[in-house]
Amino acid sequence: MLEPIRREWHSMLKDPWLLALVSYLPLLLALGLWGLFSAAVPRELPVALVDLDQTQLSRALGRHIQASPASLPLSYNSEADAIDAMKRGKVFGMVIIPSQFSAGLQSGKQPTLEIRYNGQFLLVGKLLNSNLQQSLAPALQQLARTQLLAKGVPSVQVGVNVSPVQFQITPLYNQASNYVAFLMPPLFIALFQIVGMLIFVNALNRELDTSGYGNWLANWGSNLTVKWLVYLPLALLQSAVMMVFLYGYQGMPINGGFGWLVLAQAVMLSAVFLWVSTIFFLLQDKARVVSFCTALFAPAFAFMGATFPVHEMPELAKLWRILMPSSHYIESQIAVVSYGLGGADVLNELTGYWGFLLLLVPIGALATLRKRQWQNNALVVTNTGSSKPSGEEA
Amino acid sequence: MSIWKLVWLELKAIATDKAIAITLFGGVLFYSVLYPLPYLHEVPTRQAIVVVDLDRSSLSRELIRHANASPKLEVVGTVGSIPEAANWIALPKEGIQAHGLLVIPEHFSRDVKLGKGATLAIGGDASYFLVYSAIAEGLVDVGMDFATELKWQALTSRGTNPVAAELQLNPLDINSVPAFNLSLGYTPYVVPGLFLLILQQTMLVGIGILGAGQWRNKGYWDQVSPLMLLGGRMLAFMLIYSVFTAYYVGWCYYWYGANLMASATEVGLLLLPFLLATTVVGIAFSALFTKREQPTQVLLLLSMPILFASGFVWPLSLIPEPLVWLSQIFPVTPAIMGMLEMNQMGVSWSQILPYWLHMWGLLIVFAPLAWWGIRHHRSKLD
Repeated sequence: MLEPIRREWHSMLKDPWLLALVSYLPLLLALGLWGLFSAAVPRELPVALVDLDQTQLSRALGRHIQASPASLPLSYNSEADAIDAMKRGKVFGMVIIPSQFSAGLQSGKQPTLEIRYNGQFLLVGKLLNSNLQQSLAPALQQLARTQLLAKGVPSVQVGVNVSPVQFQITPLYNQASNYVAFLMPPLFIALFQIVGMLIFVNALNRELDTSGYGNWLANWGSNLTVKWLVYLPLALLQSAVMMVFLYGYQGMPINGGFGWLVLAQAVMLSAVFLWVSTIFFLLQDKARVVSFCTALFAPAFAFMGATFPVHEMPELAKLWRILMPSSHYIESQIAVVSYGLGGADVLNELTGYWGFLLLLVPIGALATLRKRQWQNNALVVTNTGSSKPSGEEA
Repeated sequence: MSIWKLVWLELKAIATDKAIAITLFGGVLFYSVLYPLPYLHEVPTRQAIVVVDLDRSSLSRELIRHANASPKLEVVGTVGSIPEAANWIALPKEGIQAHGLLVIPEHFSRDVKLGKGATLAIGGDASYFLVYSAIAEGLVDVGMDFATELKWQALTSRGTNPVAAELQLNPLDINSVPAFNLSLGYTPYVVPGLFLLILQQTMLVGIGILGAGQWRNKGYWDQVSPLMLLGGRMLAFMLIYSVFTAYYVGWCYYWYGANLMASATEVGLLLLPFLLATTVVGIAFSALFTKREQPTQVLLLLSMPILFASGFVWPLSLIPEPLVWLSQIFPVTPAIMGMLEMNQMGVSWSQILPYWLHMWGLLIVFAPLAWWGIRHHRSKLD
């Protein structure tokens, strides 16, 4: 077994693209992705502030918006200008303080404060909306307090009258509402699933080039095992380094044991390899294998459920989700990282992958088929002297 | 060879190459269904929460009923302690995994009635952001509403007349409404940008495989001048992609409920330089490869960074400048912004002119590169 492994290593070292895939390329991409979101918490999102009232009160509201770290108010003179800025994506929200706002408030006419936020940029828009409401709430409570005091309510009672129930909101497992902690793990999972897929695709594709492909097919079982033994640790190294970067170097909180993550990754990558082997034996053409695997694995991110919750997906999406190793893995990842599970619970989740073992059936059937085709072709070749045997009726 | 003959040969080469066909015809159709599939229900509703009721009073039970009535929440159970609730969030119980908790403190009812005030603790599983925001919003809404009801009772019991009480409770009205994507749906948010990216990536892959397969072999492609091949290939892919683009931007946008504010002419005018620039970028890119299996791999790895750097998921102002500059070499970056501003948010044509000129600029920059790439491979072949 050691000799084939050594040979596999040698041929890998001669393949610059594969070498890039098992070494620097994924890490560069991971760093790039991290760079995109490195701001982590959105700050100073521009908001158009149209103050048509121009009173002490309206300016105080403006200062409250300014005081929030998430929003940066930009003054606009007219509603039309603000709407235009919003359409052009220059501001993500706008606050309109109507004229006579202060007067209306003091005379009990219940004026309306208009807030618009950009729903097209859903993530930013929603964030801005809750932040604006949060930053305006204390200002408005202050107003209510003054009004009550003016009406002669004792000051002790005022506080309770203003807010009898208070809230303490905690984002569990990601206490700073950090977008790196939220987006990076699924993005990295999608990335190393793709990288694992490409590594194995290239490793298998190389066999198609060699004249000894027929011999390789003859012992496909052990040869496939050799590939698995060589490339699993390499692919695992990529995924583990990405997680070390997040939970070690970046210091993001992890509640469970790191070893469980690596174990889950090994199982997930093996499932990816099974998919690749199936498609490889099915198509037997380098570019087609790549195209098909790409079509299969490219949309995996959407199905993981980190952005849009799984239980809200239609049934068909849930079905497709089961086919993706990454969506099984992310559950183990969240269980370990967030909930701090380990041991029996993780092992229990890993049994969820058993379905991928069913892929061994088509792999076996197709590989045997290819082997026969090759042997038949080889016979034809020796008979006719044709120089180019092919295992596939192109 | 006439240009039409060349275009015909190009189209034949594309249609008969299975690797290209998988990407172009399979990929474009398959992705138009698969990518938006998880998001079809648009908005997360009825998130499972657990209530830790330490008060066990009629008031606390009323609050729980209010929470259960919220469209965003579903109370799946009541437990007696916070660790129990935490367990329920970590491990599903009876097949249901809770994603949030509401803690009603001891003496809640008494404190509220005595006028001491009480604090409700709300927790949401922020491993899943949309789930967390739905739970936080839902519970805060419920709590605020509940508080308003309590205040109203307190005021009226002291003899304030109901009309005046109403005014005191809401001295002003905050009208907070989303603009452009009124339902805050997920497909209208994702589809416009993502579909343009799919168009670009599949086209680059198609041109890449076609080119990489040809450079080392003789064929129809070395019987015409490099300039003519460039023109013929652009024309062939423009023909195919005007159909795909019409399907994506015309039919899919409509089907998935994206906001449509621009006229068909305006959209066509915007997409013309997008498609043209993408063809030349594709041909220039294809010159980098001589192995048919490689362009797809490179583009697959680049897809995620391009998507997130285009500025519709994550604000451009928060992305490091160098990454933003790099993303400008892809025609899809100005195309997405131009499309969103014009078609989804409704600015006038003159205001998206910079994006439009940007795409023409890419065409002008990459066309000579593409021509030079073809010429380079031709000279190597001879």
